[in-house]
Amino acid sequence: MSNINGKVYAMNVITPMKPWKTGLLRILFFALWHIKPMQKDLINLSFIEFARWVIVPRRSFPFLAQGQVPEDLQYDYLLFFSNFNGTWNQYIDAFSSVLSRGLNLIWRWSEKFPGSVPITPFKEYIAQVQFDTDYYYTAYPYAAANDLKAAHIVQSSLDQLAAQAQTSTPQQFAEAYLQFVVRVQTHLGNTGEAPVVS
Amino acid sequence: MSKLNETDIQGFVLRGYNMPFARYLFLRFEDAGRAATFIHRLLGEVTTGQRWDSGKPLSTVNIAFTHLGLSALELPDATLLSFPVEFQQGMKKRAAILGDTGRNAPESWDEIWREDRVHAWLGVNAVSLDALNSRCADMLTLMRDTDGVILLDAQDAAALVIDGVPTTKEHFGFTDGFGNPDYLGVERSSQPGQGKLNSNGTWAPLATGELLLGYADEAGELPVAPVPHILASNGTFMVYRKLHQNLATFRSYLNDHAPFYAGGKEKLAAKFIGRWRDGTPIELSPDQPDPSITQDPARSTNFTFGADPEGVRCPVGAHMRRVNPRDAFGFDGKLINRRRITRRGLPYGVWTPEGESVTDSDERGVIFIALNADFSRQFEFVQQQWINYGNDARLGNEKDLLMGNHTGHGRFVVQGDTTPTNPPFVCSNLPSFVELRGGGYFFLPSITALGMIGMGLVDPR
Repeated sequence: MSNINGKVYAMNVITPMKPWKTGLLRILFFALWHIKPMQKDLINLSFIEFARWVIVPRRSFPFLAQGQVPEDLQYDYLLFFSNFNGTWNQYIDAFSSVLSRGLNLIWRWSEKFPGSVPITPFKEYIAQVQFDTDYYYTAYPYAAANDLKAAHIVQSSLDQLAAQAQTSTPQQFAEAYLQFVVRVQTHLGNTGEAPVVS
Repeated sequence: MSKLNETDIQGFVLRGYNMPFARYLFLRFEDAGRAATFIHRLLGEVTTGQRWDSGKPLSTVNIAFTHLGLSALELPDATLLSFPVEFQQGMKKRAAILGDTGRNAPESWDEIWREDRVHAWLGVNAVSLDALNSRCADMLTLMRDTDGVILLDAQDAAALVIDGVPTTKEHFGFTDGFGNPDYLGVERSSQPGQGKLNSNGTWAPLATGELLLGYADEAGELPVAPVPHILASNGTFMVYRKLHQNLATFRSYLNDHAPFYAGGKEKLAAKFIGRWRDGTPIELSPDQPDPSITQDPARSTNFTFGADPEGVRCPVGAHMRRVNPRDAFGFDGKLINRRRITRRGLPYGVWTPEGESVTDSDERGVIFIALNADFSRQFEFVQQQWINYGNDARLGNEKDLLMGNHTGHGRFVVQGDTTPTNPPFVCSNLPSFVELRGGGYFFLPSITALGMIGMGLVDPR
């Protein structure tokens, strides 16, 4: 029962939208999806494992069985789901300082969204519309997204070196080894426990 | 932005005094009323931020309070409870967050910090030892006359004297004190590289609210501050840490590893810090120190890391790059503008030249003083995320080589290229070069606020 599992934080945010605004958001999502540079800033925030926005229309809510009384919902909903490394504050600080324009475009259709700058009303808003995580599985709680990416680079570089080594002379191996070290030198951080949150 | 009201701000906040001697007196208030009288009488002595047009004074006096101190002065509860939580807790209770564990844990601090006894810090700086002694004697007289304050302890600090000359070096031999930020409204001979980076590559001062309470910060809002506003405004928060330096360990680690590094010992030392010992940024001059850079304010802090993402010139984990990453995380440095701190303080202990025998137990180190508007967002973030952790720099759990709380297992990668004199190199089994001997969190109020405290007029409404 926690939003945190090791180095990873799971955030669920659900906000209501007036249905006539949903179409506008769909157009925006279409543009974001097809214009890759618009996603660049989000992707470049290296501590975000992923972030996903999903529109849940008011007539598409799960209807589980005949016995369930149909609801008459007035709003469509925007579900935001993200896994990230670091603290809640750090995450929202970063969002507010480098992604404010993009965030405002996505969330401005939601009710009572105050804008992502200034940061205090934005944090208060997120805190109010965030739903805590009931169950959270993480395959590598002691690894951040950066650690996983780094491990892949080290592994593939090592595999390549090993394959090459089968046929190299000592001189060739020395050169290949230096190339290998230069390739992995910024990817050698170790995994471990996350810093204490509070 | 217009100029700040310099006469209402303690001088220690607005400028490094650049005086070679300091004594930090730690006070305890025995009686609220008489302690307030002491503060009231001290008011005329406190050095403000007013310009020294008629020449530098011989000495300066400044004062800051712990939360316990403000409580002992019987400030209203509504005011005491309005301070940020981390200040109310004090640095000792933040040990887990700060990574002050193991040999850095509060149990091993100097006696004065082990229990919650310190109520105030009285900082005296002076141009000479005579001036220091005389000003401190005045302070003691004032304490005796008002009879509500006792002196718990005093910490001397002084610029290291090398070949007879006071310097800006610290005990490991590096020139210190380049990186203080510029703030809007603070009059200072500013230089490129000390504020925040603009997207066009120029530098601008940080928002005043990153340093002072009562002004807009980089997020465009006022920092969290106590009530009433007039108590907080023009004040700041101060971190005091006595950082012991294990000089023998540092020298032997460097001597033991240098023979295996093809760039040589001095280059390895420079890779540790990001500056050659004389202060030349290795990012600007990767092969040798260059006095023409350190002497030139237009160049000594004017650099970025964006063109060196692999750390080939300045290692990704070099101390200076970790604690002031500039544009290293992309976004034109926007991710770091709310994480900057202002450094004050001086070394303590006597400089020992290389070649003379030293031990780790000799009393020497740095009195690290940092000023910030928000402990948790600024100092604590740097200490936790950038010194004792590495994810922002994509270094996993690696800690800062210099300051990290290593337990003999630390690692530092010197990135390189295929040039013979700049090879990749791994330093393993890092010991702790620096250890914490104690300290605390302080509130450094404005002159107006000192007056209110001294006269018992703090009214939260």
